[in-house]
Amino acid sequence: MKRVGVFVCWCGSNIGGVVDVPKVAEVARSFPNVVFTQEYKYTCSEPGQEMMIQAIKEHRLERVVVASCSPRMHELTFRKTIARAGLNPYLLEMANLREHCSWIHPDNPEEATEKAINLVRKAVAKVSKVVPLQAGSIPITKRALVVGGGIAGIFAALDIADHGHEVVLLEKEATIGGKMALLDKTFPTLDCSACICTPKMVDAAQHPNITIMSYSELESVSGYIGNFDVTVRKKARYVDLNKCTGCGICETKCPTKVISEFEQGMGTRPCIYKPFPQAVPNKPVIDPVNCKKLRDGKCGVCARVCPTGAVNYEDKDELVTGKFGAIVMATGFELFDYSVYEEYGGGRLPDVITSMQFERLVNASGPTGGKIKRPSDKKIPETIVFVKCIGSREEVKGKKYCSRACCMYTAKHATQACEKLPGADVYVFYMDVRTPGKMYDEFYTRTTREYGAKYIRGRVSKIWQDGDKLIVRGEDTLVGSAVEIEADLVVLATAMVPVKEAAELAQKVGFSYDRDGFFTEAHPKLQPVDTNTAGIFLAGCCQGPKDIPDTVAQACAAASKVTALFSRDQLATNPMISEVNEDVCVGCLLCSKVCPYKAIGGKEIKEQVHGQEITRVVANVNSGLCQGCGACVPECRSGALNLKGFTNDQLMAEVDAACL
Amino acid sequence: MKKVIENLRETAARLLQNKEAEVVIGWGLGSEAVRTQPVFITSPDNVDKLVWNPFCVNGLTKYLSDLKTRPGKIAVVVKGCDSRGIYRLTQDNIIPRDKVVVIGIPCAGQMSYTKLASKMDVSGQLNDVEDKGEDLLIKTSKGDFTVKKSEVLLDKCLTCEHHNPVVADHVVGDTINTCPTPDNYEEIKKFEAMSTEEKARFWLSQFERCIRCYACRNICPGCTCRECIFDAIKPDWVGKEINVSENELFHLTRAFHLAGRCVDCGECDRVCPMDIPIRLLNKKLLKDCKELFNMEPPGSTEEGGSVLGQYRLEDPEEFM
Repeated sequence: MKRVGVFVCWCGSNIGGVVDVPKVAEVARSFPNVVFTQEYKYTCSEPGQEMMIQAIKEHRLERVVVASCSPRMHELTFRKTIARAGLNPYLLEMANLREHCSWIHPDNPEEATEKAINLVRKAVAKVSKVVPLQAGSIPITKRALVVGGGIAGIFAALDIADHGHEVVLLEKEATIGGKMALLDKTFPTLDCSACICTPKMVDAAQHPNITIMSYSELESVSGYIGNFDVTVRKKARYVDLNKCTGCGICETKCPTKVISEFEQGMGTRPCIYKPFPQAVPNKPVIDPVNCKKLRDGKCGVCARVCPTGAVNYEDKDELVTGKFGAIVMATGFELFDYSVYEEYGGGRLPDVITSMQFERLVNASGPTGGKIKRPSDKKIPETIVFVKCIGSREEVKGKKYCSRACCMYTAKHATQACEKLPGADVYVFYMDVRTPGKMYDEFYTRTTREYGAKYIRGRVSKIWQDGDKLIVRGEDTLVGSAVEIEADLVVLATAMVPVKEAAELAQKVGFSYDRDGFFTEAHPKLQPVDTNTAGIFLAGCCQGPKDIPDTVAQACAAASKVTALFSRDQLATNPMISEVNEDVCVGCLLCSKVCPYKAIGGKEIKEQVHGQEITRVVANVNSGLCQGCGACVPECRSGALNLKGFTNDQLMAEVDAACL
Repeated sequence: MKKVIENLRETAARLLQNKEAEVVIGWGLGSEAVRTQPVFITSPDNVDKLVWNPFCVNGLTKYLSDLKTRPGKIAVVVKGCDSRGIYRLTQDNIIPRDKVVVIGIPCAGQMSYTKLASKMDVSGQLNDVEDKGEDLLIKTSKGDFTVKKSEVLLDKCLTCEHHNPVVADHVVGDTINTCPTPDNYEEIKKFEAMSTEEKARFWLSQFERCIRCYACRNICPGCTCRECIFDAIKPDWVGKEINVSENELFHLTRAFHLAGRCVDCGECDRVCPMDIPIRLLNKKLLKDCKELFNMEPPGSTEEGGSVLGQYRLEDPEEFM
């Protein structure tokens, strides 16, 4: 017989506005084992917690039920509270009267009150069966893995490394730098993207604590916060990085030229190539799909001309394993496939290009040397039309969300077009102009007022070729009339979408992602760079579309989360882990197969059966590895496994309280 | 058939003689002409008790679970369907593979006692059985009877995936080359087409008869827990009383415990004294596992385990 106290919270009007809180407290007084009940406006507040501590002492409470919000919100708070009153912190049970009750039943106060009473009844039944639990501790591997070598990954890696911790920066492409390396100028200051990005790439490469693994992909991740086991696939590069000096002779001699991905399809590159001259590492890679030697066995020019013998056609993918304490995901974005809007002719009409292609066109290191020439006939355009929200804020073929950076980069593009082509007509079709950022609205105002870009509020319905002109038909909703513009070049501001492999990566590493494939933060306001898996953090556009300032801020935030974690030597372990009833365990070890943390193994025990000593195998939980996910519990047919804090017995008591 | 029996007895005698096995579990003549019973031979002098005929319906693999702490190796005679139970037990770590000597007999199909009893006097003792192609000539102390095989075959043998054992250290008898006839789940599809009410009516009328004798559990090579949850008191997962509600919970829980693990030997059906079509429940889960996870019949290969105990990226997630 345990003395149970029930504390029912109003949560201001969040619960109290719907649920009859005094009635819940009154009815709870009649539940088995309950010796004390109390209601209060804000149980989580300082006076609320003090009242709880007083009540525990005064009424010699042995178990506590707090009927308030989700345990995700305040379980930790109240565990600390009852610990201050001298109770084991795990002798607490929460009944969620807010998220599970008042918030979802605002129109049915009576039934909500009935439900609240039942939720409390359930919690009381469970708390009567809980037992004290003790936390353990495990060491932390103070080494971080940053997945993605764009500007987010580079900043996260630099910050962690500057704190004195080792970092591995993983990049799937042959160079780090990501999308920022493609850009020409950055808003709102119009400073050169390469001038601010490439030095950071070099910093990362030269940092004694950073190891860059380029042209490598994440193969598998197991383990848990403080102790992740990671396998990386180093893709065959066919160039020995130790021997190669990066002299570039191979690139000039390679006879096969193919379309350059870096130039967004508007230039060519050889088959042994550095993606761009400032690549880090500044050493080439062979494109195995197009290389004649690798495809047909003929050619071999690059190996012949290489002065150091660095080319190795026999190179194979290599799997490398490592242990890490934390992982920062910074896998970035891709562009929405604009070809789904057939009416705009993207991919079909040569002079309808993406915003990223436009970045290369205005870029001094781009295929046209920074001269805006349209792809079809290299003519300098006199009329350019920018169309915003391609694939964003459009649910039928595109994405529901706002891609967030497009308003500003389109303003930047319009400014650049006006600057580089004096006298040209520059039009921008827009739905809204969103400029929430420091100096952003000022920039946009300058684009329209000083540079004279003509903004037309409305959507474009169709773009078609007429002679050497593109006809852009749309609507000016402010004037209320149809418009048709004869353009030389059309730039579609395509939305950011997560990289193709985002969902697969999230599943591999083990955290959640949203319906669009963006990685989900643990809390949109209070935990914006945490995932719901401890030890894994987010930076940059993999979490949602954002611009460079926000990306860098988030990367630094993720890095500070990692260094905060690494500031400790030991990590307190959750005592709510699995335990094995060896008497019942039959030793099938199916639990070890379902365990995502490899925390369960077999161990031999000896016992007497009919006077004869026999040895048998039973499951054994490693308390350092078990994270208390509970996957093993339902897998065990015999019911030999139990999750401490959620034992079968405790859950059955809850079910009985709810159903009987 | 005679050659198989001779071969079987020789093999058993040799295993016992050479101490390659301490006991041979096989079939011996039963109480009636068309019945056999399990026999446990521990001496080479007794191998003549072993028989092989179309009435060797019992699956013997479950005895391995009972005898696993016995010193020495255990030899067991299996048909194709029983042989999957060997891998069930080894995959579940109930018995190490090297503790078992598997004597496999290719099997063209076994005869149903119930069907035979409606066609002949089964009360005598068996003298001989002759395979006459489409017919069987059964010579008993109460006279000789000829029956059409197709009329008395066990239902489960109409769809047989493994006429030849999937595992055998010693094979006695010739390999059967007829094509396997995998079940295309016609019967399950009929049930799936029923309304919820129709299904409930059917199953509740079946579960109502259950006497909770647990014969289905005891014969099942997948039911090897040290403490069965149907016996457990704390927590009291399933009520012990016999009523349709608790019985329903018992049968459905048992089926789920075998989901992705049932080797479809059909023994639960055969041993049920109340003729509850228990195997149908397992069949439905086999069909689902095959469709959802492309699962092979459990126990057909040495490796593998429970599909519900594995995670693959390509697993369907239509419930999310």
